[in-house]
Amino acid sequence: MRVITFLIAIACVVGGVALGDDHYGRQVRFAGPHPIPKSDGGGMCYIEGPHVHIYAANDLEYRVEGPDHVFVGDPVAYGFDGPKYAYNGPHPMVVEDEDGEPHTEYCFIDGPHYHPFAPPDGPDFKLVGNAYFFVGNPPQAFIDARPKFVGINTVYQPIHYARPVVAVEAPAGWIGARAEFEAPGVAVEAPGVAVGAPGVVVAAPGAVVVPPRIGIGIDVHVPPPPTISVGIGVNVGGGILVGGPGRGPHPGPPPPRPRGWHR
Amino acid sequence: MRRVALIALLVACGKASPPAPTSRDELIAAWKQAGLTVSSFAATQSPTGKDCQVGTVNKLDVLVCSYASPDDAKAAQSGGLQWVGDTTGAAQAHGALLIAVADRHKADPSGKTINQILKAH
Repeated sequence: MRVITFLIAIACVVGGVALGDDHYGRQVRFAGPHPIPKSDGGGMCYIEGPHVHIYAANDLEYRVEGPDHVFVGDPVAYGFDGPKYAYNGPHPMVVEDEDGEPHTEYCFIDGPHYHPFAPPDGPDFKLVGNAYFFVGNPPQAFIDARPKFVGINTVYQPIHYARPVVAVEAPAGWIGARAEFEAPGVAVEAPGVAVGAPGVVVAAPGAVVVPPRIGIGIDVHVPPPPTISVGIGVNVGGGILVGGPGRGPHPGPPPPRPRGWHR
Repeated sequence: MRRVALIALLVACGKASPPAPTSRDELIAAWKQAGLTVSSFAATQSPTGKDCQVGTVNKLDVLVCSYASPDDAKAAQSGGLQWVGDTTGAAQAHGALLIAVADRHKADPSGKTINQILKAH
């Protein structure tokens, strides 16, 4: 019996027949727009529905949903020229299957970044200064998944592109100020930044900004007090403001919730 | 099979989905109307379906199969991917039609034309 099973498997592989996951040969399934590896030309793939390529998806920027790889990173870093919405810090993102059933995935990009969709309506996101801040209570699954996916920041750190400019204080309850979601290695390369007492960890809003790596139009200003309240009961003098000219997200309230990345 | 779509706010998202094409001729007319260069389509023997035709649209290989029902067309999507083979492509049901596109000559690196083919109706 084992021999027969083995032979069937071999025949399937040789014949290019799917082995139960709806792809053939070397195909890798994707759903929605996503970056194209540099080795395959780079840039973005704009196919909105399910499709296939002959290259792999990485584990940090994609989530596996059924047979498909769905890109959850920042497409603007790869030259995406579609609509974009600015976020600051980690946040959940809603996905839905073709039957309209909602799924939740999580983005772990620290600091300002873009997605091609707005968050769902509701109190968990606040639009402040043209950026969405997640202020909801993170579910345990969000916290638990962070170690696995937080490495996505090392993917974006060396990429030079115009990130969103977030020039406002984070709203109360922002996830970036929570201990579980502190941005590692907050680096604000500006003189005169005084971060409080030893042992006080400050995840300042939009503070994951290292100017030399950011590219055009990003400045880090250190205005005089008043202070920024980081939402953990500690006030830190100096006030970190990430500002300057740059491309903002679409202004105004988000349009109605459609189904995107049409499948 | 679960298929997932991110909730995105794309430009056209607030609009209702256009009706699925009811015939292959209607589909081809929609492509032409969208400014795509469409070759003649010829009947082909395909394991994907009994009523299939192949042609090219903007140098992309395209297979269009007609089925008795939308469910049949949807069930044929995996067969459409088999037709695509080892290259960039897609196979999507639109009503009772299955549209499969294969970029065998790397004519559409960004996938924008493939997207247009799949949505232009």
